[in-house]
Amino acid sequence: MPHIPPRLADRLLTWFCAPHLREDVLGDLHERYALRVKRLGETRANGRYWLDVLAYVRPEFIKRKPSEYANPAMTSMLRSYLTIAFRTLLKNKGYSAINSIGLALGIACCMAIGLYVFDEWQYDRFHANFNRIYRVVEHQKQADGMHNVAVTPGPLAPTLTNDFPEVEQTVRIGRWSGTVGYKQTVAEATEMLIVDPSFFRVFDFSLVAGNAQKALSSPNEIVISERMAERLFGPNWAQQPIIGQSIDFTKDDHFTLAGVAKNPPVRSHLQFDVLLPYKWLEKTDEWSQKWNSNSYHTYILLKPALADASADLARFEAKLSGQLKHYQSDTENTLYLQPLRDIYLRSVFDFQTDWGQRSDILYVRIFLAVGFIVLLIAIVNFINLATARASQRAREVGVRKTVGAKRSGIVIQFLGESLLMTSLAVAISLVLLQTSMPLFNDLSGKSLELPLHEPMFWLALFGLTLVVSLLTGLYPAFFLSSFRPVQVLKGTVNSLGLSVKSGRRFRQSLVVGQFSLAIALAIGSVVIYRQLAFIQDKKLGFDQSKLLYVRMKGDLRFNALRLKREVEKLPGVARVSATTSDLVDITNSSNIEWEGQQPNDAFLITNMNVDADFVSTTGMQLAAGRNFSWRIPSDTSATMGAFLINETAAKRMGWTPEQAIGKRIRFWGPLGRVVGVLKDFHFRPLRVSIEPFLFRFRPDNPYFNMLVKTAPGASSERVIAGLSVAYKKFEPVSSFQYGFVDQDLDAQYRVEQRTGRIILYFSILSIFVSCLGLFGLAAFTAEQRTKEIGVRKVLGASVASIVTLLSKDFLKLVFVAIVLACPMAWYAMNRWLQDFAYRVDIEWWMFALAGLLSVTVALLTVSFQSVKAALMNPAKSLRSE
Amino acid sequence: MRRSDLGEFEEVVLLAVAALSPGAYSVLIAEELERETGNSVSTGAVHAALQRLEQKGYLRSELGEATAERGGRRKRLFTVTALGGRVLSEVRAVRNRLWDRIIPNIRLEWS
Repeated sequence: MPHIPPRLADRLLTWFCAPHLREDVLGDLHERYALRVKRLGETRANGRYWLDVLAYVRPEFIKRKPSEYANPAMTSMLRSYLTIAFRTLLKNKGYSAINSIGLALGIACCMAIGLYVFDEWQYDRFHANFNRIYRVVEHQKQADGMHNVAVTPGPLAPTLTNDFPEVEQTVRIGRWSGTVGYKQTVAEATEMLIVDPSFFRVFDFSLVAGNAQKALSSPNEIVISERMAERLFGPNWAQQPIIGQSIDFTKDDHFTLAGVAKNPPVRSHLQFDVLLPYKWLEKTDEWSQKWNSNSYHTYILLKPALADASADLARFEAKLSGQLKHYQSDTENTLYLQPLRDIYLRSVFDFQTDWGQRSDILYVRIFLAVGFIVLLIAIVNFINLATARASQRAREVGVRKTVGAKRSGIVIQFLGESLLMTSLAVAISLVLLQTSMPLFNDLSGKSLELPLHEPMFWLALFGLTLVVSLLTGLYPAFFLSSFRPVQVLKGTVNSLGLSVKSGRRFRQSLVVGQFSLAIALAIGSVVIYRQLAFIQDKKLGFDQSKLLYVRMKGDLRFNALRLKREVEKLPGVARVSATTSDLVDITNSSNIEWEGQQPNDAFLITNMNVDADFVSTTGMQLAAGRNFSWRIPSDTSATMGAFLINETAAKRMGWTPEQAIGKRIRFWGPLGRVVGVLKDFHFRPLRVSIEPFLFRFRPDNPYFNMLVKTAPGASSERVIAGLSVAYKKFEPVSSFQYGFVDQDLDAQYRVEQRTGRIILYFSILSIFVSCLGLFGLAAFTAEQRTKEIGVRKVLGASVASIVTLLSKDFLKLVFVAIVLACPMAWYAMNRWLQDFAYRVDIEWWMFALAGLLSVTVALLTVSFQSVKAALMNPAKSLRSE
Repeated sequence: MRRSDLGEFEEVVLLAVAALSPGAYSVLIAEELERETGNSVSTGAVHAALQRLEQKGYLRSELGEATAERGGRRKRLFTVTALGGRVLSEVRAVRNRLWDRIIPNIRLEWS
């Protein structure tokens, strides 16, 4: 009985040893093993055998022998692949066009969205200290609970640098308004900030003139932007010695120009035209030094060590949280940190305390999802068409395999073809995108352009091309390369049909997948448009049409009623009312005390100071009681005045509208009686529900706006011209600023409108791309079944029955897609609608509409091909066999 | 002749081939060397040396018959080429010359 050496050792040797040496080596080993077994016994021979095997682990034995035959250079094979790829591309012009156009559309969408998202992402990143800058924000305790506010007290910032070694620098930023003037020129700044001198050290806003180290360190210095310099000093301001010039501020304040700042970059949440020193504010406004007034954004620059260590940062934030309590023992407000990178995209603060430029991460996510969906649909098209047409390439694969192609070679060939196709599509998409950029900018509200000179862009594009070509190519490549040459080359219809059929399930699920995505997008856009229409048509509780507002500035705020008397006489003006707000998103709320209030009961009520003509100007309706009156002196009395409240407020205080009349209320000091209850109206966007509201009638308090109702048929241009003249008479310094209430109300929903439009466009695109794929598939099936159709026709089938036969299969898929899309879309849209307190219901007809639409489009697409096939002359299709 | 061409182990293997031929192959050589030196010699080391020697042209090889112990695999038989023989004798001549120059007294001291 011969002894057998350890098999594992043999296996190992066979694996590492070069094939041409195997016979020799194994023979030697075995022979010597036999000798050793005789001499030493099996156990020791086994041990020695292992040692001997390991002794062969040397480069001489591992290195493979170069092939005896000349290896054809890799390039010639590649050239063959390339030639074949181009030939198939040109041979099937239709398919190639469908494939590349679909893919190009998908890639263009994806790139456009990518540019958009990148643009949003770039905000504020130009600051060198980006990762170390934080904003200190507040959890604020109010009567109705906790609120997040972005503002903090003025004295906070200096205590932070004193009390915390972690803080390197702080900046306070406040908002101000007014006009600046130089000699005769007066300009109104849209963005005016009050800042600490550290502003230029913490942030990367640079000065083109003046000293950034010293600017704004004394109370009478001012810094303006380049834009503002051009407005004040003319286009060649840079050549003039303007630093040190005296700048008039509003009425009778004067500042020395300490610097001209570069215009803030577009991608910055901080925008400014004029910067005033915080020191000046401390002199003029005592509130800026008080702990119980929250008006300023406090930014801090952390020490570098801290910003990198999250544990230290959390510890610092915990310490910081109680900082307000140290200086103001009765407060329950706490502080927390908001990193600079979150300010632009993730700010959610109450009471409009965050006034910088803002966007919303939700919409960034929605756009990203939509972009990927369109790309996915295009990729699915490609996979579908490639596998469906596999039978055409099957013979080629068979022949290649027979003459010695390995599977890996064929995989590489088909992957290469998809790379070629994708590159073509990327080129087309670049052209598409370049030409449609204005449209996309209009849609997205940005001014984007293709960064063609950025190497990073090309790198990203290259990456995208690779990823997309892998996604599109992998499945077809493995599918096609799996064909067995014997089966394929036998040429029987049966075996060919079999190989095509094997991918059918997969293809069908892909079609279902892409159609459900497209239909879901379509349902989404229907719902969004319904909601937008609902918002547009919603009765707000007042008549916003033909209603103008004019901003009261400077002293006019106290003289509004004098201007009102002038305006009432203008032709075309129906009603005028002086108010504090323009009725668009009113958020000025405070505590209220009322008759019969329970000890621990409190809430915030939003308020507005109006005059007696307000109700008639806005067309609001009384639910009970009477309006304010000019003729009743007690209405404006300081000891016991009059209030109007809305129904919600009456209900909140436990009264019916009728009961509320005559009840006593204390608000902001003076006591008063409720003289009337107004029907509820929407004073905030429809996202939030109606809250308690209170109208005051205090003609001696400032009015910030004037509402003007134009008469029916009057031209608003003429009214505005008249208003402007009257305004200038009272307030010659500041500019006349006005607007239409209905337009401003509409503008509140701009983001939603924009999203709605983008989703609409993208859903149209995705349905189009899906149909492109369906068109290709239908054409392919019709072609496959040409003979079958011929035979059927010969046997007497009608055109209609053949069309049904061919279309049925595809329509089934679309129906399945609708069934899948509905719950998906319902879930997503329900989530979106939760944002609105007032919203449409998602109704069955929305699904039906989107479904019907997609079925119709799919049917049209498919029937084009099936009718063509059904009309074909059977003599032609059956002639050759 | 460049001395570095022939390593010490190679020289021994080459000599063994000459001594065992005809019919010298790796197992035989390894066994022979083990017996002669008393150290264990793996066929791997011998095989590698044989390969190198063949590459240098000192040996040539042909496939021999297969045996049952080898699992039906053929063995590779080595013979010394003329070049190999010349190299061997040159190496030997160098050694001999040096040996001859050693003073007999010293040789006596060693034994």
